[in-house]
Amino acid sequence: MNAPLRVGIIGDFNPQLRSHVATNEALRHAASALSVMVDAVWLPTPSLAQADCTTTLQRFDALWCAPASPYHSMQGALTAIQFSREQGWPFLGT
Amino acid sequence: MLAIQDAEHEETAPEAPHLVISKLTCSLVGTSQTITLLPGTLAHQAYRKAVVVEQFACNYGLNPVYHEHMRHGGLQVVGRDAAGEVRLVELTAHRFFLATLFLPQLSSSAARPHPLIVAYLQAAQKFHTVQHRSEAKR
Repeated sequence: MNAPLRVGIIGDFNPQLRSHVATNEALRHAASALSVMVDAVWLPTPSLAQADCTTTLQRFDALWCAPASPYHSMQGALTAIQFSREQGWPFLGT
Repeated sequence: MLAIQDAEHEETAPEAPHLVISKLTCSLVGTSQTITLLPGTLAHQAYRKAVVVEQFACNYGLNPVYHEHMRHGGLQVVGRDAAGEVRLVELTAHRFFLATLFLPQLSSSAARPHPLIVAYLQAAQKFHTVQHRSEAKR
């Protein structure tokens, strides 16, 4: 069995938001279609505004910027998007 | 990215001079739209068709004033609605960098996983392998 794919979701998870719950579910649907395991982790935007956030972001195989703005930390969200863009991490923004 | 140091979002900074993200002329919350995709793009390859219908839940989008600027920065418009409005963009010089104004996750189901999200995970899978290989070499 291969190691699970690690997906970092840039966003402040709110279980009341249909789009957030649907993000987790859609990842499960796609993973199942590809017969892979996915380990999805929500990354609260204030944590991405910290100086050491690159170390956190590097642990993932892909990053997904979640819907529902404004983010708690716009700076944190932008830092993670910039990381994906400049370092070549697969990125989806929805 | 575009060397606009004070690029802003109308939702959080409505008075800012450079609103790269601005309020849409009409809200898209709760609507579905037909989107036409540019051939040969990541999105087109993922969907395997040129016209798709997607669900929206947003009030903001790319300010048309900056479209040309973005194109020069490598951000390509790959999906437009019937009125020609930007709905999907990709970064051309990147393995997989795609942003949508719609919410593909809303139309995903176990029986019909969303093609963009499947393509995204495939890119993650490839990237994982590349990373793993380079780690093994170290």
